[in-house]
Amino acid sequence: MTGELIIDGFMTGAQVIKLKNVSKIYQVGDQPVYALANITEHIKPGEYVAIMGPSGSGKSTLLNVLGCLLRPTEGSYQLNGQEINTLNDSELSKLRQSVIGFIFQSFHLIPRLTAAGNVELPMIFAGIAPQVRQQRVTQALEAVGLTARSHHRPDQLSVGQRQRVVIARATVMNPRLILADEPTGNLDSESGKQILGLLDQLYALGHTLIIVTHDINVAHRAERVLVISDGHIVQRTSSCNLTPESL
Amino acid sequence: MSLRDCVDFAFNALKGQPIRVSLCVTGIAIGIMAIVVLTALGEGARRYVVNQFMSIGSNLLLVVPGKTETTGAIPGFAGAPHDLTIMDSQAIRRNIRSIQRLAPISMGTETVRYGERRRQVPIVGTTADFLEIRHLRMARGQFLPRGDPQRGAPLVVLGHRVAQELFPDTSPLGQLIRVGNWRMRVIGILAPRGTQLSMDMDDLVLVPVATGMQLLNRHSLYRILLGVRNVSDLETTCGRIVALLTERHGEDDTTCITQGSVVGTFSSILNALTVSLAAIGFISLTVAGIGIMNVMFVAVADRTEEIGLLKALGARSRQILLLFLIEAVILSLAGGMIGLTLGWTIVQGLTTLYPAIPASTPLWASVSAVLVSFAVGVVFGLLPAHRAGRLDPVHALERHAS
Ligand SMILES: Nc1ncnc2c1ncn2[C@@H]1O[C@H](COP(=O)(O)OP(=O)(O)OP(=O)(O)O)[C@@H](O)[C@H]1O
Ligand SMILES: [Mg+2]
Repeated sequence: MTGELIIDGFMTGAQVIKLKNVSKIYQVGDQPVYALANITEHIKPGEYVAIMGPSGSGKSTLLNVLGCLLRPTEGSYQLNGQEINTLNDSELSKLRQSVIGFIFQSFHLIPRLTAAGNVELPMIFAGIAPQVRQQRVTQALEAVGLTARSHHRPDQLSVGQRQRVVIARATVMNPRLILADEPTGNLDSESGKQILGLLDQLYALGHTLIIVTHDINVAHRAERVLVISDGHIVQRTSSCNLTPESL
Repeated sequence: MSLRDCVDFAFNALKGQPIRVSLCVTGIAIGIMAIVVLTALGEGARRYVVNQFMSIGSNLLLVVPGKTETTGAIPGFAGAPHDLTIMDSQAIRRNIRSIQRLAPISMGTETVRYGERRRQVPIVGTTADFLEIRHLRMARGQFLPRGDPQRGAPLVVLGHRVAQELFPDTSPLGQLIRVGNWRMRVIGILAPRGTQLSMDMDDLVLVPVATGMQLLNRHSLYRILLGVRNVSDLETTCGRIVALLTERHGEDDTTCITQGSVVGTFSSILNALTVSLAAIGFISLTVAGIGIMNVMFVAVADRTEEIGLLKALGARSRQILLLFLIEAVILSLAGGMIGLTLGWTIVQGLTTLYPAIPASTPLWASVSAVLVSFAVGVVFGLLPAHRAGRLDPVHALERHAS
């Protein structure tokens, strides 16, 4: 079964995520703090997974580990068959560049750059030729409906538009895995719906989507929900079985 | 990521900080300008001195009484040498054929008087060859006559200003003046010449060398000035003169100095001056470099979130290091270019105002100013850039603002 998945992932270029006994331990003074404790989980290519849980439970930490921004303290994380522990920092950067797209709650747009400039960023570091970059920026902004705003700077955009720029930036390298940490957390419900619609489109296109959220309505869009508490996965459920009480 | 992309990115980042950027650039510009202007002045002084020497001919030799270890330095009062006499100078003229002109010189100061007017002026006793050796011209009358230098004569040639001041209304030619207690006849007036090697050629009185020694009560010549036929014979001629005088005096008690060694000494002293002036400039450049470092540290702190983002987007540590390093280098190079332009403009202005001093920035100073400003960017940018590259992306991203 696992073997099939890896072959499947290889054939389609999609990613498969395998976490085995992953812990992330912070030393605060002499006290070890388990931000993640012994997480074992598989996520299939093309899956849409929501991660829920109370504040401080380790959701962001898990997402950062999945995004190769944090190395697990213990355990093994395989991304598409590749053991993260064996890769050096530069190889991890390469992986983030080509395989992973990030969507943040607080956008993290560079204020001095235009929407187009922000979307172009990942391609600059990937060494993609300027003409190709231009073309892909146009496409990515078009996909999020911001063609007319490409020359606006972030402070000239509404928060909903900013998050759409972030989605354009996250998808411009066409990564298979998209990680979103409370993407609607800073948005009004109308803009939030727009963003969720865009995420649904990405899911439909076959991207693997992992989204951290506090909002049960957001979680309902996912196929599967992982509930975390104190660094442990305490519940795995299909989103249709999700009720407010189950949290 | 191409260099072009790096530079574009860095420029864009700098554009957002006009005040910090301009302060930084100004600091570097001042440092570079200091180097350019100060070295130009040092080089100007060197050229001025060299020109002074060259204007009186490069085929000159100087024989002075006394001995020095180092050639070039003019010997003074060390030891009690034999007198250097007019006979010595005649012996040199007779025996050494590479010599074209020879002027023994006695030197002192005396009061010169005509009627009510009197002045204290330098008295130079010499012979007819002095005129050609020092490239002087006559305004009127004759120079000192040729003939036996042993024999004196009560004749004087006046420097231009001395003539004007003693004879404001009348022509001095043929008049009798008093030099000390001597009554002497004016036979000629020098054309204006100005200062040559710190000797004001307009403010002196020339007399025959033997008369000069008597009048000034000197037993020894001040020096002998010689012009050789071929510049290539300078050194050998010097050797022969010293050998001849050693034989005559029974000991080696004279020094022969070639123009080249004097020029060389002055030139190297003034080169050292130029280099130390440059060093002052480089110190101010270092201060400016620390300014860049400070600005870059602030930039890294301000843009921590951005750095975290770039890392999340797949930028490698080295790429981020390079971006910040290029920012620092842009600052320092911009400062360098502005400083160079300002410096050149100032030097241009100075040479227009004071044409006598041929101030000119030596090429090495301009080139090293640019190289050093580049290096300042690299050296002082490296630490902040390194810090930027090393930032932990998760930590950096948590400092969110936008
Ligand atoms: N750098 C750190 N040093 C020490 N402890 C940390 C560090 N980063 C996170 N933690 C701890 O790890 C735990 C998990 O943090 P995390 O940010 O993953 O929580 P979260 O589920 O995302 O919370 P929220 O919903 O508030 O965003 C928390 O208890 C937090 O205090
Ligand atoms: Mg969080």
